[in-house]
Amino acid sequence: MAGPFVFRRALVAFVVVALVTAASALAAETPRKGGILRIGNLGEPPALDPHWTTASITETLTNHIYEGLYSLDREKKPIPMLAEGHTVSRDGLTYTFKLRQGITFHNGKEMTSEDVVASLSRWGKQSIYGKALFAQVADFKAVDKYTVEMKLKEKSAIVLVSLAVPNNFGAIYPKEIAEKFPPQVKVTEYIGTGPYKLAEWKPDQYIRMVRFAEYKSRNEKPNGYGGGKTAYVDEIRWVPVPEVATRVAQVETGELDFADDLNLDAFDRLKRNPAVRPIVSKPYYWLVAVFNKKEGLMTNQKLRQAWQAALDIEPIMKNVAGGKTEFYRMDSSLAPVEITTWHTKIQGLPWNERNTEKAKRLLQEAGYKKEPVRFLATQEYKWMYDFALLTKQQLEDVGFNIDLQVVDWATLVKRRNNPKEYDAFTTGMGAFYDPTHHIYLTASWPGWTTDEDIARVQAELARETDHKKRVALWEKQTRQFYEKVPVIRYGDLFGLRAARHTVKDFDEGNERIRFFNVWLEK
Amino acid sequence: MAVVVTIVFLLIHLIPGDPVSVMLGPDATPAQIQGTRQALGLDRPLYEQLLAFYARVLRGDLGHSYFLDRPVTRALAERAEPTIVLMLSALLVAVVIGVPSGIVAAAHRGSPWDRGLMLVSLLGVCVPGFWLSLNFIYFFAVRLRWLPAAGYASVLTDPVGALTYMVLPAVSLGFNQSALIARISRSCMLEVLQQDYIRTARAKGLSPRVVTYVHGFRNALVPVVAVIGITTAILIGGAVVTEIVFNIPGLGRLIISAILRRDYPVVQGVVLVTAAAYVFINLVVDVLYAFIDPRIRYD
Repeated sequence: MAGPFVFRRALVAFVVVALVTAASALAAETPRKGGILRIGNLGEPPALDPHWTTASITETLTNHIYEGLYSLDREKKPIPMLAEGHTVSRDGLTYTFKLRQGITFHNGKEMTSEDVVASLSRWGKQSIYGKALFAQVADFKAVDKYTVEMKLKEKSAIVLVSLAVPNNFGAIYPKEIAEKFPPQVKVTEYIGTGPYKLAEWKPDQYIRMVRFAEYKSRNEKPNGYGGGKTAYVDEIRWVPVPEVATRVAQVETGELDFADDLNLDAFDRLKRNPAVRPIVSKPYYWLVAVFNKKEGLMTNQKLRQAWQAALDIEPIMKNVAGGKTEFYRMDSSLAPVEITTWHTKIQGLPWNERNTEKAKRLLQEAGYKKEPVRFLATQEYKWMYDFALLTKQQLEDVGFNIDLQVVDWATLVKRRNNPKEYDAFTTGMGAFYDPTHHIYLTASWPGWTTDEDIARVQAELARETDHKKRVALWEKQTRQFYEKVPVIRYGDLFGLRAARHTVKDFDEGNERIRFFNVWLEK
Repeated sequence: MAVVVTIVFLLIHLIPGDPVSVMLGPDATPAQIQGTRQALGLDRPLYEQLLAFYARVLRGDLGHSYFLDRPVTRALAERAEPTIVLMLSALLVAVVIGVPSGIVAAAHRGSPWDRGLMLVSLLGVCVPGFWLSLNFIYFFAVRLRWLPAAGYASVLTDPVGALTYMVLPAVSLGFNQSALIARISRSCMLEVLQQDYIRTARAKGLSPRVVTYVHGFRNALVPVVAVIGITTAILIGGAVVTEIVFNIPGLGRLIISAILRRDYPVVQGVVLVTAAAYVFINLVVDVLYAFIDPRIRYD
C-alpha cells in the first residue's frame, strides 16, 4: 500500500517544483521597471540637436529624447511614429498627415500641427535629408490642430523615408524652440516627445536621461526603431569613456551595463566572461575610398577603374577585422543585406576582381606616369588606417604611386572639402535607407560625383513611386557605380559591443543602439 | 603670458582641421559647413578673430566652447577639481615613494638596497604610464575586484568614493613620477654625504640616522624641492594619459578632446591656465628655497 502513496507524494512534489521553477523562470523573464542603465560610449556628442548634425552619437542619444512623424521598422521601411497615418492625393502631389492626439512634450505642452510645421521647416533648411525632401516641397502647412499638409512640386518617392531616417532626422520640437534657434545654430533647449527626457548633461562625465512618465506609447509591438516603446529603466546614464580598453574593463567589472564601439580584439576576452555577452553589430560600415572627381588625377575614370581592378578585398577585410571572420562580410551590394528592400545580388560586377593585368592595362590607357596619388587616411579610426595601408601595398604592386597622408580626423574632414588637397580619402559608409540617400552618389558631398548618368538615375529614383521600377533603377545605378567608380566599395565591417547578462530585451537587429524596451534584471 | 596666448591662438588656428566639420558629422555637406562657420564667426579673417580674442581676455572672458555649450571659464572651473585632486594624490605618492627611496639608496650606497631601489626607479622611468595604468585596471579592478576600474567622484560630495576612484590613478601616475624624485634625491644625498661637515658630524659620534636625516637631508633638500616643483608642473598639464585611461574629467582630458575637435576657445583657455599655474608653481618653489636654505635671499 506504500507504493501508490509514495508515488502520489512524489508526483505532488514534482508538480510543485515544476510550477515554482516555471513561475520563477517566468518572473525572471517578465520585464520590470526600475534601475539605472549605465552605457559606456566613445565620447561627447557635438550637440543634442538631430536637425543640426549627422554625428552618429547625436543620432543614438537623441532618438531616446525626440521622435519624428515616421520611424523605420525591422526591415528598415517607414512606419508611423508621431503620425497616425497619411493619405496621398490622386495626383501624388499632396501628402496629408494625421497626427496622434494627446501626445505631450516633456514640458507638458501638447504636440500639435504648429509644432510639426515649425520643426520640419527648420529641419528642411539644415538636415541633409530634410534639404533633399524640402527641395521637392512647394508648400507645407497646418490644416487643423492635428493635420498637416505637404504639397510637392513633383511626384516624390522619398517623402516617408526622409521623415523616417534616424540620422539627422526630422525630430519634432515645440514650436517655440524650433523658431527660437535658426537652422545653423544648434538647439540648447532639449524638449521632445520621446520615452526619456534629458535630466542632466555634465560634459565628460555623463548624460542622464530619466523616464518620461507621461509618454504615450504606440499600441503596436516594438518593431525596429519604431512601434511601441516602454521606458522600463528609471534612468539611462550615458558615460563617455574615451579609452576603449577602459570601456571593456568597466563592462566586465559591472561599472557599466553596456559598452559600445569596442575594439574587435576584445571579442575573445568578452566571450570568456560569463557575466557579459559580446554583440556583433551589423551593419556597421562598408569601407570606402572616395575619389576627388573635381580636380586632379582621379578625375580620370580609367585610373579609378584600375584601382578597382587591382584590389584583392578579402585579405584587406580579414586584416582589418583582426583575422576574425565574424567581423566582416564580402558583398558587392551598395546596401547591406540587413536592408532587404535595397540589397542587390547582381552577378558579374567588377568587384574584388584581383586582376592585376587589367589594372596595369587601365593604368597604361589612362596615361598614368607614376604621379603620386594623395590618399588621405587617419589613425584615429584604426580600421581606416589599416585598409588604407593594405590598399597602398596592393596598388603599388600594379604600378600606382600612392602618397599615403596620415592625419587626424579633424584635419581629414577639413581637407576632404578642398579639391586641391587630395586625390582620395578613407571613410566608412553606414546604412542608407533609400537609394537617394547614398551621399557619395551626389555632387554636394566631398568627392563630388557629378557624373550626368548617375545624377539622372538619382533624379528618377527620387521621382519614381512604383516600387518595382525603383528596384530596377537601383540595379541600374549599381551597375553604373561599378562602371564609373565614384568611390571604391570594399567589404562590410562589423562592430563590437557588449552587454552584461542583466540587460534584457536589447534589440540586436538595429544598427545603432536603442534602450527603450530594455529592462534590467537586478 | 601674452606671448603664450598669441602663439597658441595662431598655432591652433593655423593647423589644418575645422571644428564645424567635426561638429556637423561625417555626412555634412560643404554648404552646411559654410553656413555654420558663418554663424560661429569662423569665416572672419584671422587677425579679426585674434583681436576679438584679446579684447575678450582683457575683460576676463575666455570665450564660449563650441562643443560644451558653456563659457570656457565654467568648463575650466568644472575640470579644475579632478585635476588638482589627481595632482596632489599623485604627488603625495611620488614623494612618499621617491624621497625615502633616494635617501635609503644613498645611505646604503652599493648595497642590495641601493641596487634594488634604483632598479625599481629605473622601471618607473621606463614603463609607459599608459601600459602601467591598463595593467593596474586589469589586476586590481577586473581580476581582484578591489577597486573600481575608472571614474570620478567629487571629494566635496563623496570623499570615500573619491578615495576609491583615486587610488589606482594616483599610484600609477605617482609611481612614474617617483622615479625621477628618487634618482635626484639619491644623487643629491650622495653629494652631501661626502661633504666635510658630515664627516665631522660622524667624527663627533652622532648616530648614522641623525647624520643622514638631520644634517644630510636638509642640505640635499633644495634640488629635491626643485624636482618636486617640476613634477607638480608636469602633473598639472601632463596627466593627460592617466585622466583618459581612468576616465577622470580633468583638464588633461579636456584639452585633448578640445584639440581633436578643434574647440579653439577651450584649447586657448586650458593653455592660458596651465601657463599661469607653471608661473605660480615656480614662484612657490623659489619662495621655498629661501625657507629651506637660509643662505638664499631675494633682497
